[in-house]
Amino acid sequence: MSKPILTFEDFVKRILKIVFWALLILPFIAIPVYYLLYAELHLPTDLFALATVKPFSFISWQLGLISTEPFKTLFALSVFPGFSFVAIYGTIFMGWVERKITAKVQLRTGPMYAGKVEGILQNFADFFKLLFKEMVIPNGVDTAIFVAIPFALMAVAGALISLVPLSPTIYIADPSVGAILVFAILGFSPLIVLLAGWASNSKYPFLGGLRALHQMVAYEIPMILSLLGAVLLSGTLYLAPAPCSQPCTPGPSIVTAQSNIWFIFLLPLGAIVFFIGSLAELERIPFDLPEADSELVAGWQTEYTSMLFGTFQLANFSRMYVLAGLFTTFFLGGWLGPAPVPGVAWFLIKTTIVMIAMMLPRSILPRVRIDMLLRAGWVKLLALAFLNIFIAMVLVSLGVV
Amino acid sequence: MVDAVFIAMAIVTVGGALIALEAKEIVYGAIGLAGSLFGVAAFFFLLDAPYVAVFQIAVYIGAVAVLILFTVMLVRQERWAKELPVRSLTKVAGILTGVVLVLALAIAALSSDISNDTQIQNTAGFVQIGQLISTTYAPILEVLALVLGAAIVGALTLSRTDREEKQQ
Repeated sequence: MSKPILTFEDFVKRILKIVFWALLILPFIAIPVYYLLYAELHLPTDLFALATVKPFSFISWQLGLISTEPFKTLFALSVFPGFSFVAIYGTIFMGWVERKITAKVQLRTGPMYAGKVEGILQNFADFFKLLFKEMVIPNGVDTAIFVAIPFALMAVAGALISLVPLSPTIYIADPSVGAILVFAILGFSPLIVLLAGWASNSKYPFLGGLRALHQMVAYEIPMILSLLGAVLLSGTLYLAPAPCSQPCTPGPSIVTAQSNIWFIFLLPLGAIVFFIGSLAELERIPFDLPEADSELVAGWQTEYTSMLFGTFQLANFSRMYVLAGLFTTFFLGGWLGPAPVPGVAWFLIKTTIVMIAMMLPRSILPRVRIDMLLRAGWVKLLALAFLNIFIAMVLVSLGVV
Repeated sequence: MVDAVFIAMAIVTVGGALIALEAKEIVYGAIGLAGSLFGVAAFFFLLDAPYVAVFQIAVYIGAVAVLILFTVMLVRQERWAKELPVRSLTKVAGILTGVVLVLALAIAALSSDISNDTQIQNTAGFVQIGQLISTTYAPILEVLALVLGAAIVGALTLSRTDREEKQQ
């Protein structure tokens, strides 16, 4: 299917392309496959030991470097469980997944052109578009607060990212009060959203900010109470086992308490309340009143443009990843799963499924009214959350866990 | 490390309180108050009391600061505080009161047996706190619950009469 070679330029291009793919495939596929065969079939000679230039030794040197201390913490903060990973997987990739899923449910095709496969690079393109757009700061806004709001929201999202444990060893922070600290940090977001609405000095953002405030305050309390059941069953607030010096048994944690049975089977009510509460906290359809496009343009984000708006998207998707990760941690057994697949992969598979479950209502449900929303939050979900706590108490007193 | 965090958080706490008092725009004052409360929460973290710190953040920033900000925004005015003519006698009295207060606090702190090298042996976890609240301090918990319940009933009564007056 390739184009015919007509000029010398085409010839050089083709050669460079072949060299590029060879350099990419060799260290990542050819060498591991060779050594696998070497170990399994007892091949006579080690071909790569004869070579003088070893591309894979560079990779192993880098891996050795990031396992030493100052680089390890920096790597954790900025790359793997931290910011870059969430930005690329949680925001750009899952943003593309959301667009594709919504399109498929509504019998459309979704993004198709950027990237070879199903428009997979569309959200990268959108990211760069936002990055290079002009930053418009309207007249009459309170400039200091207006510009500070996206960074504050991103700081809250970053603090939340640090609390999600991907495996017994891969996490950024594991405080002794992890389960409650999540909600202490989530408590910042109504303040920030209200300020965003006020600082924009415009009626749609202000109405959106007030709606967001009511919604977040109403749904935070049932969410905290829905997690108390899991805390009661496991008897600890640690999300991952507490770090300890080498010869010791790992302490209790919410994930390891689920090694026999996941909490979603013991506390289905708590899982439902937490899931609905996180939909409301993330302002996703059917609870997207703060940014209802047909009434409020874009709610409290209306006056924001370019990368300030992009930061909002980043923060919203990061919070979505965090809440999906917490659902996995509290109810789906976190990294626990059958042996050959590593724990991180189990965690990511479960989190991806939960995130897709959070995206699906967007394409099938209408928006609720504000009085229905508040009544459901303050009356129904609160009652269900208390019922969930009583179920947990009964299970503990019966000695189920 | 702890000293640097302590100094930074002391600046946040005192600075936030100053902004809350002195800001001309009252929304900035509310933000300053939130910053000050956050600094206090950070002190609880430094004192190895994460449980108290987390609830300081959840209650004072997640609820109290938000409610104050919400109330303040609905009554937005350009110049909230009118410039009052300050008499020199009042100024001197204010400064003297401040100096006396600081001296009294300093003397009290210096004469007490609080010192830097006090090691906290067993910091109470949330399990011990829960046990103490539900056994030894149960009467206090019940009295507090009654006070809060009375406050909620009072607030409901007040808002209800307000609404009836508006209808008439």
